[in-house]
Amino acid sequence: MTRVDCESACRSAMARKDGYVSDLSADQIEAHLADCSDCRGEVRQLRALANLLDRQKRRQRTENIWEHVEQHLPDALPARSTSRVWRAFVVLGLLLLGYRLVEMIPDRHLGLLFKLVPILLVIAAFSYLRENPFKINSELTLEGRVTK
Amino acid sequence: MDAVQEAFIDCFQALDRVDLTRRFYSWFYVILRNRCYKLASRRNKREMSNSDETEILAPAANVQPEETMLLEQAMLELPAEDRELITLRHLDGLSYQELAERLQVPQGTIMSRLHHARKRLRDKLTRHSFTGLSGD
Repeated sequence: MTRVDCESACRSAMARKDGYVSDLSADQIEAHLADCSDCRGEVRQLRALANLLDRQKRRQRTENIWEHVEQHLPDALPARSTSRVWRAFVVLGLLLLGYRLVEMIPDRHLGLLFKLVPILLVIAAFSYLRENPFKINSELTLEGRVTK
Repeated sequence: MDAVQEAFIDCFQALDRVDLTRRFYSWFYVILRNRCYKLASRRNKREMSNSDETEILAPAANVQPEETMLLEQAMLELPAEDRELITLRHLDGLSYQELAERLQVPQGTIMSRLHHARKRLRDKLTRHSFTGLSGD
């Protein structure tokens, strides 16, 4: 059996009281506590404290917070997400337009990598929006209406 | 109270990022916690000590009111992280696994932090001449 230090023994003894099994076995903890009167005293005090805390009751709050939350809900989500989506698509459109213009320059041999740019741009846009374009939305709602 | 209200609004705004494979309350708790820290950093210390936080414990059967009063006083003197951990473990009855999930740290860290938090609370109580910790 390896030698156990005081801190680990006390910590593990308290953890066991809380129902958590640490790296130290019950035998190792007990053996240490049997030998060390300081740790015995420490654990006894901490157990008494834990028992005292377990007997306490938490004060329950009864205020109604819904009114305040409800006031802020209508303009909280739609404004933010709609503008974010529009911004992303405007930027994507501009970038694709720029790509098309570059592509139209005559007598220029652009590599295969350049041809992948539109696909990469679309992937980047959907990643930014955290949207999966292949996902079928089974809960489609009309604009401005929320299903319950 | 302000933090809870703001957290609900934050939560609503972040609904599209909710991870449905995890428990909702754990996710909400992280939002609430962040909101509490933001509010706390905005307020100065004097305001915080007079705020809603001064009522943690309620009168309970089989507990002397003086004990509860001293315990509450000692808890208020603890760092916020210690108070949070002790409250979640002993007043809300969360297991180490639930605490780890809620606070997003390993269970071993919970064990260590809780141990130190209880030791600090014990020391505070001793300083307040609390005599109820003589043992079982």
